[in-house]
Amino acid sequence: MSPLLAASGPVIPNFGGAPSTYACERANRLFCADWVTRNWSSVLWPALRQHIVLTVIAVAIGFAISTLLALIAYRRGWLERPVLIVTSILYTIPSLALFELLAPSFGLTRTTAEIALVSYTLLILFRNTLTGLREVPAEVKDAAAGMGMGPMQSLLRVELPLAAPAIIAGLRIATVTVISLATVAALIDNEGLGVPILTAISGEVFKTELITAGAMAVALALIADGLLVLIQRWLTPWTRAGR
Amino acid sequence: MTRTLKVIAAVLALASALAACGGSSKSSSHASSSPSTTTSTSGGPGAGKPPVTIGDKNFTEEYVLGELYAEALQAKGYKVTVKGNIGSSEITYKALQAGQIDMYPEYTGTLLTAIAGITTPPQSAAQAYDEAKAYVQKQGFTLLDPTPFYDSDALGTLKSFATKNHLSTISDLRRFGSSLRLGGAPEFATRFEGLIGLKREYGLNPTFVPLAIGLTYTALDSGKVQVADVFTTDPQLTTGKYTVLSDPKKVFGFQNVAPVVKQSVLSAEGPAFAQTLNKVSALLTIPAIQRMNAAVALDHQSPAAVAHAFLAANGLL
Amino acid sequence: MGAFGQALQFIGRNGQVPGAPHLPTLVHLTLGTVKIAAIGVGISVAIALPIGLWLGHIHRGSFVAINLGNIWRSLPSLAVLAIGVAFLGLGLRNVELALVVLAVPPIITNAYVAIDGVDRGAVEAARGMGLTEWQILRSVELPLGVPLIFAGIRTAALFVVSTTTIAALTGYSGSLGDIINNETSYHLSGVLGAAIVIAALALVVEGLLAGLQRALTPRGLKLSKRQEVTSALAPLVTEPA
Repeated sequence: MSPLLAASGPVIPNFGGAPSTYACERANRLFCADWVTRNWSSVLWPALRQHIVLTVIAVAIGFAISTLLALIAYRRGWLERPVLIVTSILYTIPSLALFELLAPSFGLTRTTAEIALVSYTLLILFRNTLTGLREVPAEVKDAAAGMGMGPMQSLLRVELPLAAPAIIAGLRIATVTVISLATVAALIDNEGLGVPILTAISGEVFKTELITAGAMAVALALIADGLLVLIQRWLTPWTRAGR
Repeated sequence: MTRTLKVIAAVLALASALAACGGSSKSSSHASSSPSTTTSTSGGPGAGKPPVTIGDKNFTEEYVLGELYAEALQAKGYKVTVKGNIGSSEITYKALQAGQIDMYPEYTGTLLTAIAGITTPPQSAAQAYDEAKAYVQKQGFTLLDPTPFYDSDALGTLKSFATKNHLSTISDLRRFGSSLRLGGAPEFATRFEGLIGLKREYGLNPTFVPLAIGLTYTALDSGKVQVADVFTTDPQLTTGKYTVLSDPKKVFGFQNVAPVVKQSVLSAEGPAFAQTLNKVSALLTIPAIQRMNAAVALDHQSPAAVAHAFLAANGLL
Repeated sequence: MGAFGQALQFIGRNGQVPGAPHLPTLVHLTLGTVKIAAIGVGISVAIALPIGLWLGHIHRGSFVAINLGNIWRSLPSLAVLAIGVAFLGLGLRNVELALVVLAVPPIITNAYVAIDGVDRGAVEAARGMGLTEWQILRSVELPLGVPLIFAGIRTAALFVVSTTTIAALTGYSGSLGDIINNETSYHLSGVLGAAIVIAALALVVEGLLAGLQRALTPRGLKLSKRQEVTSALAPLVTEPA
């Protein structure tokens, strides 16, 4: 059955060094900095990178869909109610349930995770974009028309820029929500910061990994939020006036 | 800069970032990405062959096995993705049948009882392997060479509990009746290599406490269960704190590991594919796998790093 | 689809799995989920609502109240649950602690914004009429703040129901998440069935709270509002950067 081994058997290396190197892990202390350094490139960084990709794709697609829907609803008001109802239902379904419901149709893949994550962004992005557009003062729109701008020009050069703060506020909420939910997505496609979190709790809880991965998720969310704030300030400098 | 230009600049930056991430995400699409993912050698027998997806089940030893096979193949130029932590045997086999994975490491005994559903346990390791191979071949798969090591389920207790109650073999547990709290993974309750077999062959009737696989030893330590389903290659068993009860009726069967592979994938990948995998399997003795399990489970090293070190030390990288 | 048909059958037979009589049934786990969630929401509302209402009334603590909402959103619930279980062990009390930590912020933030944003003229008028602070809160600010207050409670309730199911991943059993975590025993039909029940449960909770909100919203407010504030609007739509 199995081919003959050399009499001495395989070479078993000293994995990573003497046992004392791993004293912190074996004692399961709160935070083992050595573990983090040792496992950064093989466990933590790939998880972080995957998490960022998951988030960016979900928010980008969600933004595209909801902006399109909001622009249509802006012109055709009847669309608002059905879109709100559908996106609200999607938003209400708990993440674990939504992932599982999509899995049979789309497999245990990134696609399933992305579809679910996109669904969670639609409500807030749609509402914020539509409300932002609607809150553009009528006088401003009149002035634009008075200057000879057509509806498309007015939209692009006046209304959307004025709606930008609301849109970006929505983007902030959506992005942070997706970053948080993507940890559960790890169940489906084994990607993202949810993987080290789930690994850490799969036996006796390994505190270092749990805390590190959890802290990375929170940090990612806060950094993303901060970046979006900076982007908004860059795009709409007039909102800073008079603060 | 005018506002429009700013927006266009932002969109372009985002798009190029997405493209960059999207491009690199293909090669790093398995979570426990091995250090050698990016150094997949050009040339070698695997070059130009279709990519392969290896699955693994939901416990440490399987992660290690998955990484061992994946990295050995990658060293030969194959494009490998690891779909880790899929679930129990039942679920992973279904993923194989559904085409979500091309192969995964399975235990011969478990394949027979949990998947093939046989009721008469095999009498030797060789018989278990042959019967398992015959079964999967009927479904378009096959088994590659088995490993020297076997990792059977076993019933483990705290050494103190065993000494106090004079326990050495499973039949000794019969006298506890239903006051015995036995812990195991949920599938343990419905498998012949589990409660069903224990009831039938040993007349045991314990109270079953479902546990997540990794929480077995914590549950034993805390007294939540008195007896638990353990794996014979668990590193915790080398600490001397626990005793394994003997299984003379061989309910837990013979459990060498062999990769289950789709036959069509084998032919598509060429002969070097099976050869590489068999070379890896041949190296996996009980001490080897126990040391690797210990490095991952106790020292919390990553399965990828541990597999890498082992393969490198044995000239397979 | 075959899979969903089987899922409905699973629901129809109360989650019994042939050959495994010892497994908890669907009804049992649903009630378990409801119990855990209800306790979590109840405690959170009891703690957070008074704090948020009072802070809003005295117009203090805006920095804390608003930023609490931001920090809350960035906490991955799985991580909070796992850390709670890791450091405090499994047990109803510890899971509830994690749930309360997750549910309190949106209630405080929204209650604060709701009361803080009430038209000052109305409040001053009431004060001028001689009402006590407590009476002002109760008869002026609270009714006007119902939409946003409920937005916070609905967000929190939804979050608690969702997180209760996730608790099964951290080893805590007793909720519908157990089924999803145990596909081996319940099979795919069970997992899908449980997912359907969870989704339905969340929609029912949301619907009940929406109904309660409508019942408590003063008629004048109902007539003047163009659109209903849904739970996603927490806190407000436009935030100055």
